[in-house]
Amino acid sequence: MGIRWSRVTPHLAVAPAALLTLVFFIGAIGWTVYLSFTASRRFPDYELIGLKQYWRLFHDSSWLLSLQNLVIFALGSLLSIVVGFILAALIDKEVHGEGLFRTIFLYPLAVSLIVTGLVWRWLFNPSLGIENVLHSLGWQSASFNWLASQDTVMFGVILAAVWQSTGFFMALMLSGLKSINTEIWQAARLDGVPFWRLYIEVIIPMMKLTFLTCIILLCIGVVKAYDIIVAMTNAGPGGASVMPAYFVIDAYWQKQNLGFASAGATVMLLTTLVLFLPLVIVTAIRQRNAT
Amino acid sequence: MTAIPLTSQSANQVKARRRPFIRPHRVVVFVFLLMAAAFFAVPLYVIVVTSFKTMDQIRLGQIFSLPSPWTTDAWTYAWTQACSGMNCNGVRVGFVNSLYILAPSLVLTISLSIITGYGLALWNVKWANGFLFVLFICAFVPFQIIMYPLIKIAGTLHIYGTTFGIAVIHSVLSLPFLTLIFRNYFRGMPPQIIAAAMIDSGSFWRIFFEIVLPMSGNIMIVVLILMITGIWNDFLVGLTFGAQDTQPMTVVLNNITVTTTGAKNYAVDMASALLTALPPLVIYFVLGKFFVQGITAGAIKG
Repeated sequence: MGIRWSRVTPHLAVAPAALLTLVFFIGAIGWTVYLSFTASRRFPDYELIGLKQYWRLFHDSSWLLSLQNLVIFALGSLLSIVVGFILAALIDKEVHGEGLFRTIFLYPLAVSLIVTGLVWRWLFNPSLGIENVLHSLGWQSASFNWLASQDTVMFGVILAAVWQSTGFFMALMLSGLKSINTEIWQAARLDGVPFWRLYIEVIIPMMKLTFLTCIILLCIGVVKAYDIIVAMTNAGPGGASVMPAYFVIDAYWQKQNLGFASAGATVMLLTTLVLFLPLVIVTAIRQRNAT
Repeated sequence: MTAIPLTSQSANQVKARRRPFIRPHRVVVFVFLLMAAAFFAVPLYVIVVTSFKTMDQIRLGQIFSLPSPWTTDAWTYAWTQACSGMNCNGVRVGFVNSLYILAPSLVLTISLSIITGYGLALWNVKWANGFLFVLFICAFVPFQIIMYPLIKIAGTLHIYGTTFGIAVIHSVLSLPFLTLIFRNYFRGMPPQIIAAAMIDSGSFWRIFFEIVLPMSGNIMIVVLILMITGIWNDFLVGLTFGAQDTQPMTVVLNNITVTTTGAKNYAVDMASALLTALPPLVIYFVLGKFFVQGITAGAIKG
């Protein structure tokens, strides 16, 4: 009796990836979560101290601010879903120069967040950027120096992020719109239903799963937001634009506090998992609908 | 679709065809789209014109004005002399590093994930569904939760701080996502072809190399675009795993913009940023259609 190679080979072929996943993801996550229960400073210390790091974390004003910024960032970024949908809806109904518009709306996606942040920092520059142009056009009270003030810095970051990501949501919305039955448009036209009513009462409800997917992907993306903060503000001014992803990296490299950083990373993971559950459900529903 | 007249009188048809161009709501839509286009295009315009200006022109504070005269000094300076920390060799250092990071990570990650995706999609593998679910989760976990262990593992393997090390980390990080993309693509292949091949040879590798791989052209382009832009634009992995002389281009760019030795020349910052952004932008403008597919494919079907 020989070995059934047709049974064994697929397992052997999949094994390296499974092993890598086990070590680099599952094992690594377990390691970090374990460290979050220890007093590790610069080097790991494997003696458990319970939830002390989490207690410290949630009494750290900077961390609490980063959570607040997370919510602000997520809510503000919803703009890119709304704008993405509007642009998709407008482009979807043949417009002159559709291809050109699409190209312009989508190219920011190919631009890294570091470059995005750099460009917008430049536009926000008070003496050389947009503000100065507005002043020289006679609008003396115009203030576009958002990154310099603790009250407006998050809006500046959100604007740049929206600029970069709207194309992504527009692309998702376009493919959602394409899957809608063409008869609906014709029926609406025959009945003389105005287009805006058709969208609000029929199209948007039909696309609710697409919207939900967009919102979840956006939230998961916001939890990871790091590059744009580094490029635009470095969490400033005065730590006002700190985000969890930035806080954790900073706690590890600058504060050299491994246990503390791990606790922050674990909270990030939990946030992602909470967002992930509805994504699984939505994806499952979509796949069932598709077949 | 809008051109189809729905009024039954054929006499109205010609009018109905032309009407869309003069109807007021069309104009509103078009103006709105133009404003949106301006919002997306202005930053690129500003960065391009600024990069061709001299510092004296920039100090005038007219960011929308065209350069006069045009000068490419900032570009050559950015490429060869701009300072990233103490290292004044321009962004070309980062450019070369990014290439050294990109090449091995493409080979490693694509070969590994295409085989895994193929095995999971078309063959009986134990716990395949469980594995797929784990991959689905891993595709979304934040980098921070695995950062420290990855640093330790890379250190143990003596690849920490090398471009190859960064490439290995990229390969591992993109493995879950790519495997899912390949797996979904192979699932969608015509079942008759696969069934015939199973009966015909039944060999895992022969079916892969003779049937599946030749049929993967489209998805391969999508994946390549996705990976090239993703890895080229990455900052965090390069920052974490790169050493002073192995940092990718995005990290070098960021260092250049925060380095304040000597007089600040914004034109150099802009030229450096454009040089960094150029490779993905070229890919986007040349292969736009595949680019969009790549972005939506993973996200939706995940």
